[in-house]
Amino acid sequence: MNSILRYTGAFVLLVVLQLLIFNNIEFSGYVNPYVYVMFILILPVSIPSWILLLLGFLTGFVIDIFTGTMGVHTFATVLAGFVRPWVLSLNVTAEAAEGDMSPSSSRSGLRWFFIYTVTVVLVHHLALFFVELFSLKHFFHTLLRVLLSTAVTTFFILLFDFIRPHR
Amino acid sequence: MRSLLNFLLRFKTLILFLVLEAVALVMISTSHNYHQTVFYGLSRNISGFVARRLERGTYYFRLRSVNEELVKENTLLRRRLEGLTAMPAEGFSGVHDTISGVNYTYLNARVISNSVNKQKNFITLDRGSKHGVHVGMGVASPSGVVGVVVGVSPNYSVVMSLLNTDFRLSASIARNDYFGSLAWDGINYRYAKLSEIPHHVTVSEGDTIVTSGYSAIFPAGLMAGTLTGDQNRGGDFISLEVMLSVDFKKLTDVYVIGNLTRDERETLEEEVVK
Repeated sequence: MNSILRYTGAFVLLVVLQLLIFNNIEFSGYVNPYVYVMFILILPVSIPSWILLLLGFLTGFVIDIFTGTMGVHTFATVLAGFVRPWVLSLNVTAEAAEGDMSPSSSRSGLRWFFIYTVTVVLVHHLALFFVELFSLKHFFHTLLRVLLSTAVTTFFILLFDFIRPHR
Repeated sequence: MRSLLNFLLRFKTLILFLVLEAVALVMISTSHNYHQTVFYGLSRNISGFVARRLERGTYYFRLRSVNEELVKENTLLRRRLEGLTAMPAEGFSGVHDTISGVNYTYLNARVISNSVNKQKNFITLDRGSKHGVHVGMGVASPSGVVGVVVGVSPNYSVVMSLLNTDFRLSASIARNDYFGSLAWDGINYRYAKLSEIPHHVTVSEGDTIVTSGYSAIFPAGLMAGTLTGDQNRGGDFISLEVMLSVDFKKLTDVYVIGNLTRDERETLEEEVVK
């Protein structure tokens, strides 16, 4: 019960941060960090994959409603929820695989958490930017936007991971 | 039957994934009439409320550039006024009628939410149907064309920005009146493309691009941008790169443009074309 409350708090906080701060960051039209993906990253390791998918859908849907990009964030975040268990299993450490722990750098090491974060964020951003464009017309231009935004998003997620309270 | 159930159980995650992604894709593909949905109206009211609060805080810091822009526009308008007062009355009657020539009205509005980083950018204004804004009205800033109203609620309205890949503007080269179609290609928020200009037209860098006035949304001669000199020849027409006169990243105050005789004009045009 307590943990449901904590994750709900994290969800609200990340969505508010995304809408009020990160949606207003646009360096020269190239960098648009989408830090709300962190919610998908910090859910407990043992969470059933179908709940993960539904939560991904909910998160993307909420962001879509407030940014007026119907379905684009939903698509990308469901995909992020789908690949997360794969990335976890590819990149597993004994400790991280344990029960209801939330993946974090303090528990599994910065290197581990970095690779995990970068992979999921990259998948999410690739889907997001290309689905938004809905064509491969400006492929390399979009790819550059994806890579730069992934770097900035990852930076902020690592930063938030440092300052979030750990049990 | 049983093996089918087993199959479904085994792949339940994959099936759920595919179903959710299909729902998302349907949402995306129907998003062109998204602005008419009730649901969006609700979310617009909530996000409009938040955006208005935020905008109040940041507006103060832009006062200087807003003032400069307004002074510039005032000067321009004064000059035009001088020209107008000297003009004789229109029509056959000798009576001076002050409203006969007025076709467009202007309503000032504040931008409370805006973006330049998407392919389909929209702008939210703090004026809505309560203030007389209707879908299809044009929006301009003191420095030029901004977009067209695509959705209104009582207190807010949503504008399809010129920085939206679906937006087309009938624009002409001010120097020689050749007209084409101005659209954004989705790459740089400072530049757009003017296409459908015939080959024989000579253009030069710095030529002014203005609205043609053929669409009833904008009056003719409203500033849109200047040519950068880059052009793309090929096919029957050339397409020219235009530096937009409006800096969408600094957009604060705009005018909603209402056309008083629009209905009359469109009814006439429809009747004749039929």
